[in-house]
Amino acid sequence: MSTNPYSTRVRELFAMTPHAGDVVGAKSVSISDQDVRIRLSAGVEDGIVTAMRFRARGCPHLIAGAEAACAALEGHAVAGLPMWTSADLMQDLPVPVEKTGRILVLEDAVRSLGQRLCDGT
Amino acid sequence: MMTEDYIYLDYAASTPVDPRVFDRMRECSAATCANPSSTHAAGRMSQDIIANAATQVADLLNIDPKTLIWTSGATESDNLAIAGGARYRAHRGKHIVTMRTEHKAVTDMFDTLAKEGFEVTWVDPGPTGLLDPAAFEAALRDDTQFASIMFVNNETGVIQDIEALGNICRQRDILFHVDAAQAVGKVRIDLGKLPVDLLSLTGHKFYGPKGIGALYIADRPGCHVEPILFGGGQQRRMRPGTLPTELVAGLGMTAEIAAGRIDDDLAHLRTLRHALWDGIRHIDGVTLNGDPNGFPGILNVSVDDIEGESLLLALEPLLVATGSACNSKSQEPSYVLRALGLTDLQAQSAIRFSVGRPTTMPEVEFAAGHYRAAIEKLRELAPEVVT
Repeated sequence: MSTNPYSTRVRELFAMTPHAGDVVGAKSVSISDQDVRIRLSAGVEDGIVTAMRFRARGCPHLIAGAEAACAALEGHAVAGLPMWTSADLMQDLPVPVEKTGRILVLEDAVRSLGQRLCDGT
Repeated sequence: MMTEDYIYLDYAASTPVDPRVFDRMRECSAATCANPSSTHAAGRMSQDIIANAATQVADLLNIDPKTLIWTSGATESDNLAIAGGARYRAHRGKHIVTMRTEHKAVTDMFDTLAKEGFEVTWVDPGPTGLLDPAAFEAALRDDTQFASIMFVNNETGVIQDIEALGNICRQRDILFHVDAAQAVGKVRIDLGKLPVDLLSLTGHKFYGPKGIGALYIADRPGCHVEPILFGGGQQRRMRPGTLPTELVAGLGMTAEIAAGRIDDDLAHLRTLRHALWDGIRHIDGVTLNGDPNGFPGILNVSVDDIEGESLLLALEPLLVATGSACNSKSQEPSYVLRALGLTDLQAQSAIRFSVGRPTTMPEVEFAAGHYRAAIEKLRELAPEVVT
């Protein structure tokens, strides 16, 4: 049993965050909960996410999760974002059970951003 | 100390064993395997090794070797001193006093005694972690029989005024215990002059082996502890059990080496700590936790609005601690720093750098630069505060 709290995947995503930042002039959401803060922004063309960026203050799993989610969601249909689930992400990283709440904040942020994009608000 | 992958800056958690200590342990192990309680020639050889080690530790502290009880380390020494001392004095009073910033080996023992019917007063430090002797004295009562205050704080490096606190206890005939796990072999301690009744120490905090420590019990009337272990007559029945001859010999050698170089070590640590603090103190929102004049081997700093766990990972390859190393698996903010008045967020961002004998100036300079870079990275990642 490993005593290392971070998988190689988490370490890689935490160390290299090409999706950190903002999509200038795009729609965004900010959420603060569970001792974390996260902001997501996304550029859209023809119903497809062309660029997605994050800013986050939280544990390494949250930052790694935000980086992975942004990378994965680029190229996806905006219509799918309001139903996005972090289940695959939690397995992929993986996320320890005591931190699932923080990843759910990320999930809420993705869904909220998706809703805004769909609603045009 | 730099390994291939890491820079070790966690000397308050543990230190590497001095090679001369290893040599002494190997030498003793080769000389005899006998139980020091055995009365035959080989057993007497083990006894001699232990007696020699007691003299070495006694010389470091300026005490009579007969006042030392060997233990497995500071936790056991603290437990024995507190439980054994308070219970021994219980017929005279059951009020006991300590600080909120003590190590868990102390606070948990006080909590245990509270469940047995002792009444505990927890004294608060000032904002730098220093205990005001007047505040300490104000906490004492006619039925106070035991007090425990640590010498050097393991998280902040704050050095308490043990002489003043001990004098207050002596005037009232209160048994006074000092957890000196972070102090012995690192700062000059003269128990021939200091009014201390019980003092805990451990080998691995000052370049000795893990698994061996000692409790000093002053040879004066009314100063005694009841045992917390049972099963043999060793060590005047106060701490039964077969003594680990090699470990005891190692602790003795550790003490002898320390005695000859405390002043040089302190000067080295002061230089390193100054350089480290100088390299990070200009960061916006950074705060030094503790007393600037504390033990120079420890530098505890917080920084505004940075998440501690991410900071720790971003700081790799530096090996540092968040809060107490003994408790670092917990994500709870340090109770020691909270007692100094830090908020949960400030305490959670705290990093304890602890430097030691092998630490070099290039390591410290790298650490300062790496800390600055980590803060900058995490601040760039963070969104503005949502209101």
